[in-house]
Amino acid sequence: MLTSPYPVAAEDLSVHADYDSLKEAAEWYAALQDAQASAGQRAAWQRWLDARPEHRRAWAHVETVSRRFALLRVEGEREAAEKAVQVAARRTPPRRQAAGRVLALGGAGILGWLAWRFTPLPTIVTAWRSDYATGIGEQRSIVLADNTRVWLNTRSAIDVHFTLDQRELTLKSGEILVDTGQDTHQRPFFVETRNGRLQALGTRFTVRETGNDVLLAVYDGQVRIRNLAGRDALVRAGEQTRYSADDISGTALADPAREAWSRGVILAENLSLAELIAELGRYHAGYTAVDPRVAGLRVIGRYPAHDMGRTLSMLERDLPIRAVRTLPWWITLEPR
Amino acid sequence: MPRQCPRSMSATVPPVRQDLRALYADHHSWLLGWLRRRLGNAADAADLAHDAFLRLIVRPAPDGFATAGAARAYLRAMAQGLCTDLWRRREVEQAWLESLAAQPEIYAPSPEHRALVIETLMQVGEWLGRLPQNVRTAFIHAQIHGLSTREIADHIGVSQRMVQKYLAQAMLHLALIDAGLEPSGARRPQPC
Repeated sequence: MLTSPYPVAAEDLSVHADYDSLKEAAEWYAALQDAQASAGQRAAWQRWLDARPEHRRAWAHVETVSRRFALLRVEGEREAAEKAVQVAARRTPPRRQAAGRVLALGGAGILGWLAWRFTPLPTIVTAWRSDYATGIGEQRSIVLADNTRVWLNTRSAIDVHFTLDQRELTLKSGEILVDTGQDTHQRPFFVETRNGRLQALGTRFTVRETGNDVLLAVYDGQVRIRNLAGRDALVRAGEQTRYSADDISGTALADPAREAWSRGVILAENLSLAELIAELGRYHAGYTAVDPRVAGLRVIGRYPAHDMGRTLSMLERDLPIRAVRTLPWWITLEPR
Repeated sequence: MPRQCPRSMSATVPPVRQDLRALYADHHSWLLGWLRRRLGNAADAADLAHDAFLRLIVRPAPDGFATAGAARAYLRAMAQGLCTDLWRRREVEQAWLESLAAQPEIYAPSPEHRALVIETLMQVGEWLGRLPQNVRTAFIHAQIHGLSTREIADHIGVSQRMVQKYLAQAMLHLALIDAGLEPSGARRPQPC
């Protein structure tokens, strides 16, 4: 069984862009920037793109580079971005001096770099439009005007909309932990999700958008669900439930793991190795393959969400497996 | 992944694995004082001292430190880099905020958006910093304003053909960095 944070086309990882392909890709980029580029030129570009996997790989780098500028294209901020990027470019230390510096690609640096290299486009698009967003491996805690505290888990995005008579968060993707504050105006607090609307009743809870349904776990107070079909349910402290647009499942005991991430920990309470790796994949860009012979091994323990290296060595210690690093971002877990 | 460094004198001494806690106890207040003198600001100094030790956790010195002097030299080099980064970042942030403030419409970006933009500006600026001014400007016009080659040519006063060359040059430079075929510049691996 293979688990991966997102689908990766085999050719993307097995083929590397060579210098010549990149040079051609850069030339195509420049040619197509011409507003007068003809349909014939575009067709020629398409033929070039389809001719060899190296070309597609090279073009992917061109797209990634362009995507990196997305945040600087925000309407109303372009002039400011242009001026500031010129300042940043002029202040770049010369190469020699830079080489002597200690500032390594450490921590956030390398994660940030990996995150934008490998984040698929739809996630990035959602991220720009949201009021608050996190990338892969990033977590953030914010305090809203009413002292409500919200933790955004990895790859999550929310909009915040407070009006005179209500407080509303929209969960656009990912997972949040909400600790609601005492509102001086006593306005009700809602979380809008794809499948329904939640009303918090003085409370601490997590909401996770999984794609098919929404997982709600309540740790304090109560939360009322009303899904799109209009069905209601009340979830109390210590309970969790899943709901979709037309169904709400029965409540179960709230999973402490759903709260643990706000402390940077993944709690494995009898997860399979494949499940644990899928969970870890939410925090790390790249690709982790699990050999089917070890995918079903049971894992119990606490693992650091942000330290893939440490988690892997803990797993190697606890289980009869070894982690083989095929490429820096490609790890295979196989029997020892 | 640590780079292979030529063995230096200190590396011939059996490496001493320093306990981070001991390192912190021995050098934190010294580093804080050094940073405070340099920055003239206690809060920034505290932040950077914290950062410096955090980096040691994330990426410990390859062979530990043979002597207290070596540890301090390492910490000082790291703190020096952090100061330079902080000053650069402040300057870029200032330029961005001033330019936003100069706009007729009132505009207040959220702190999170601001942090993301500054991060992007720093990174992109670093990559573009290695390019000649005209090449950089052409590429910024294309990427940020979405201008065509003709419009860029009018802006910077060169031929369209030249703009196309500039754009290809800039894109190749950045694509090579993205493909890992060219070092990205200032964010370099560890010193030897």
